[in-house]
Amino acid sequence: MSAADQGVALGYEPASGSGERRVWIPSGGSHRSGPLGALQREQLVSAVLDVRPDPDTRLVMLGVDVDELQPAGRAALRDRIAFLPADGGLLSSLNAWENIVLPIGFHRPECLREVAARVYGMLARLGADPSALLAKLPERMSLYEKNLTGYVRIALERPELLIAEDPQGGLDSVERAAAERFPAAYLEDCPGGTFVQLEVASAP
Amino acid sequence: MIGVYREFEGVMRLAGHVVRRLPVLALPPVAESLTRQIYFTGASATAGIVLRGAFIGTFIIAYVIDVLDANVALAVKILLWVVLREVGPLIAAVLVIQRSGTAVTTELALMQISGEVANLRHMRIDPRDYLVVPRVVGIALSTAALTFYVQVIAVGGGMLLSALTIDASLGELFTEFFALASPVDFVYSVIKSLLFGAAIALVCCYQGLHAPGTSINAVPKAAINGVTQSTLLVLLLNVVFAYLVFGQAFFGLVTAKL
Repeated sequence: MSAADQGVALGYEPASGSGERRVWIPSGGSHRSGPLGALQREQLVSAVLDVRPDPDTRLVMLGVDVDELQPAGRAALRDRIAFLPADGGLLSSLNAWENIVLPIGFHRPECLREVAARVYGMLARLGADPSALLAKLPERMSLYEKNLTGYVRIALERPELLIAEDPQGGLDSVERAAAERFPAAYLEDCPGGTFVQLEVASAP
Repeated sequence: MIGVYREFEGVMRLAGHVVRRLPVLALPPVAESLTRQIYFTGASATAGIVLRGAFIGTFIIAYVIDVLDANVALAVKILLWVVLREVGPLIAAVLVIQRSGTAVTTELALMQISGEVANLRHMRIDPRDYLVVPRVVGIALSTAALTFYVQVIAVGGGMLLSALTIDASLGELFTEFFALASPVDFVYSVIKSLLFGAAIALVCCYQGLHAPGTSINAVPKAAINGVTQSTLLVLLLNVVFAYLVFGQAFFGLVTAKL
């Protein structure tokens, strides 16, 4: 990757002159995007998650220029990325535990037996009471608990890039302080990983 | 017309996906979803089904006996042909549409408009694998089981009523019934009810996942589409089966004997 590429800011911004927008997501560490509009947020998230940016966008993440990848390479890259929506992205019919183990049950069912200890450890490290949280349905959870559940679900899979959408938005000061521990907890679990917090601008 | 064709094509594609992806049922979350669906459609609906089955069986026989002044052989033939082959699977299908079809369409439409289906995609889970495959298999199996309950209860109720109202003992009626019934009747109704259940689930899942709009108003619209289209499809399938059976089908194994 050239130095010019590395100079492009994190986020979804038009590159000067060419009409092409470029998104470069650095590898490693914790980063915070500038406030994105709703449309920019939608385009960025779908470009990253589909690993298929629109024709006017050049997307570079985890050190890979997505345009240069074949479909198999894109699928492999997608497996290294996770997205945490603003409300945790939970399924309302499943309790916290079932939500947490859902992706592991799909992608690595052989690991399900060893998951419980890790989940309890992660929740305790983030200051939550696992026995109180895990049986709750999303309708009974606070916004922070939803985010926490969503975060643990993702962190279990140890993705190399975690994009979290405004994980502290809408929280009170105590919950905000707790949510601020997500990046450090993630980097502890996934050394060398990249944690990106998307800040979404509120509508005018 | 183009819309109808597109929806039919969509349902058929979904059916193809379900057949190809049946192995996902071995995954723990999908197996759990299958168990829940079977419990909801097959087990928790049993009490209502049993009551309705008993009422329907006895009413059919009561009317037949009254109108046709039927004898034992005719009463049993009516039970066999009407209740076992036709009414049993149809009644079970209608009850499944009423209870599970509406629930499935509404749930999936709500998941679609609230972003939960997108959340599954974010987790790299194909929504069709997690939401459609266990529902189609669960509802198909449950419809077959419910059909069996309806048949047993309706035939049993009909026999009891016949024994009370015509000059024949319960033993005679059962002897006549088992002399006329064949394993093919049972296999026929199992195949039919499995297909009815799968058709209901496919249509309702398709309508739920393709709710017409992104507002809450899309949910009742999807539910109406799911119920009306699955009812229509079940009746259509029943006509096809009736044609096959009352003509000559299954390599001559099943023929009309009027």
